[in-house]
Amino acid sequence: MAPSEKSERFVSLLTEHQNRIYGYVYSLLGDHSRASDVVQEVNLTLWRKIDEFEDDRPFLPWAFGVARFQVLAHLRDRKRDRLLLDAELAESLSGQLEKSATQIDSVRVALRGCLQELSPSNRQLIEERYFKALPVEQVAQTSDRTVGAIKVALLRIRRQLAQCVQKRSAMEGLA
Amino acid sequence: MNDSLRDELESLLFDWDAGTLGDAGIDRVREILRSDESARAAYLQHQLLNAAMGLDASSRLDADSGTISQVSEPELDLAKQNIPSALPSDHFFRVSLWAVAATTLLFCGLLGRLAYLEFSDSDTVAATEAIEEVTSSGVALVTQLVDVEFEPDQVSLDVGDALMPGPIAIKSGFAQIEFFCGATLIVEGPAEIDLKSSVLASVTSGKFRAQVPPAARGFSIEVDDMKVVDLGTEFGLAVTENGADIQVFDGEIEVHSPQSDKRLLTTGQAIVRNSVGEFSTGKITPDRFVDIASMESRADGQQTQRYEAWKTLSNRLSRDPRVVAYYSFDEQGAWDRKLHSSVRPDNDELDGAIVGAGKVNGRWPAKSGLEFKRPGDRVRVRIPGEFDSLTFACWVKIDSLDRWYNSLFLTDNYNEGEPHWQILDTGQLFFSVRHKPDDLNGQPIKGPTHQEVLSPPFWKPSMSGRWLHLATTYDADAGKTTHYLNGERIHEETIADQLVVRETRIGAASIGNWSIPTKPDAEFAVRNLNGSMDEFMILSDALSENEIREIYESGKP
Repeated sequence: MAPSEKSERFVSLLTEHQNRIYGYVYSLLGDHSRASDVVQEVNLTLWRKIDEFEDDRPFLPWAFGVARFQVLAHLRDRKRDRLLLDAELAESLSGQLEKSATQIDSVRVALRGCLQELSPSNRQLIEERYFKALPVEQVAQTSDRTVGAIKVALLRIRRQLAQCVQKRSAMEGLA
Repeated sequence: MNDSLRDELESLLFDWDAGTLGDAGIDRVREILRSDESARAAYLQHQLLNAAMGLDASSRLDADSGTISQVSEPELDLAKQNIPSALPSDHFFRVSLWAVAATTLLFCGLLGRLAYLEFSDSDTVAATEAIEEVTSSGVALVTQLVDVEFEPDQVSLDVGDALMPGPIAIKSGFAQIEFFCGATLIVEGPAEIDLKSSVLASVTSGKFRAQVPPAARGFSIEVDDMKVVDLGTEFGLAVTENGADIQVFDGEIEVHSPQSDKRLLTTGQAIVRNSVGEFSTGKITPDRFVDIASMESRADGQQTQRYEAWKTLSNRLSRDPRVVAYYSFDEQGAWDRKLHSSVRPDNDELDGAIVGAGKVNGRWPAKSGLEFKRPGDRVRVRIPGEFDSLTFACWVKIDSLDRWYNSLFLTDNYNEGEPHWQILDTGQLFFSVRHKPDDLNGQPIKGPTHQEVLSPPFWKPSMSGRWLHLATTYDADAGKTTHYLNGERIHEETIADQLVVRETRIGAASIGNWSIPTKPDAEFAVRNLNGSMDEFMILSDALSENEIREIYESGKP
């Protein structure tokens, strides 16, 4: 491949798989801000290693490999910070995650349909907490309920959503 | 996994997301995940759902209303029709608007930044957007500050700042505030004022002079339960705990108060209202209230003073033996397309060659600067010698950050020991020194070749057109890089041992651009700065925080 063709191909693959890489990294870190930082590092690392990139080799496993390494490095470097997983757990989850992170786009599609199935007030709770990222206290305040009650409600709606997403994305898989 | 374990895990993860999970909770999550395979699957499902919602959050939030937009993207329209099973999902996402836009961006050389911008934590994104929205949608602007001292609990303001509704407390000095309705208010400290909207302010103390052109008629100031409505005029208002003194210098105002009927005051009239709300006739004393013209001349005086203070410092710096290169952009005489070196004793060798960049005003009208605009604009310099520690500092006015890399100072290549100093389009200050030999002509080097030290994003569009002082120190002994903005340390990072460069060098380099002769077609070779610079220096030492602050304090416009 000519260099420009190669970087064109590389960029289109990186773009195509960006959400999957994000899903992968986020799942191991459980924090949007950290995940964004690490995804950025992953992108730069991949870009620097463009020479290792071969068109006939599957892109995603290579990208996941780099992502896994960056996440582990992050977990090791930030030991003093509060992190949800340790390196050992992240390592053990990464195999399963490589499979599920490829599903993130169908999860997103399914999620949109599932949100429509919720009652307006439940949808509003989810939107406030997870899309607008409002603190639980604030969600509680605006809906005039206690923090405890909101937590119970959100856990219930989340479970409903998760089941719906699972069903819908499975349906999609069959289509 | 049994139900109670699942409930427990979900509850713990909820708390983690909310930021309320303690160390014991974290340990418990790990314990559950280690012990139970189906718990691990449930964990991944939870996180993937979070990730999916996080990914959609930034693209779906409608910035104006703060509600979730359902119509802006075709993919959302499709989803709304409840036919996800009909979607060829993979292809579908490949052609999503986002992906198309992203691909275009990437080709403009924005790779990597993308993820930062696209996936920033939704909290942060929301917060940043709120701040941006705030600064661009305030109710008034600070247009002049003379000898102002702010009250300790007041965030100090700069000329050009947009003001949001809220209180301002000035201990002494004068501030000129222009309300978006068109009214200009000169505030003399000590004063406390609370901006309510672009047409209304409430004051508790201080001396004020309002100038209200016809377009801003209706601008009002509240004092306690009294309201002064301006009908197109110029008036003065002095408020103390003993009452308020209102004087009309020109035009007409209305005074509303619950104790009496509406009063109309015209040119030359004055009233005094005491602390219990009784009115009496007052005297007209316009000289007690500083007007816009004398504000201007006071400001000019202050500018001259500041310019002189900077010159004193500049003279001292030009003789500082640690200075390797110094361009004050203030050398007298014709420029003849040279940027004269300010290092004393004189050394012509250090003169820079101006390419493209045009002469503009610097921080003060009496001082020059250079504007970098077009992709070719730059100043070429050649700086001989070998150093260990380094300090880079400059005064720069950034118009916008258009490029992936926006150059401040880059050596021509990127060889061993050479520093690169630039700003990323995310508004992060970037500094690195190449550790490994150049690999452009040889085998690619395995492993990192340098450590990039990035500050947190410091730039926001509301800073556009404002003079900023940027400095970065590289301490070769301690292996540390520190970034400064306006005299304040914004980031410090220790360089990994194996990447610390003990011997630095510069050679051929450019200010405000990158001249990389070996890679003429490199995608990100365009690194020109979009803005102006009016002082630039390199020192062969890592200056202390105090020294950087002194350079800022003596040089601020």
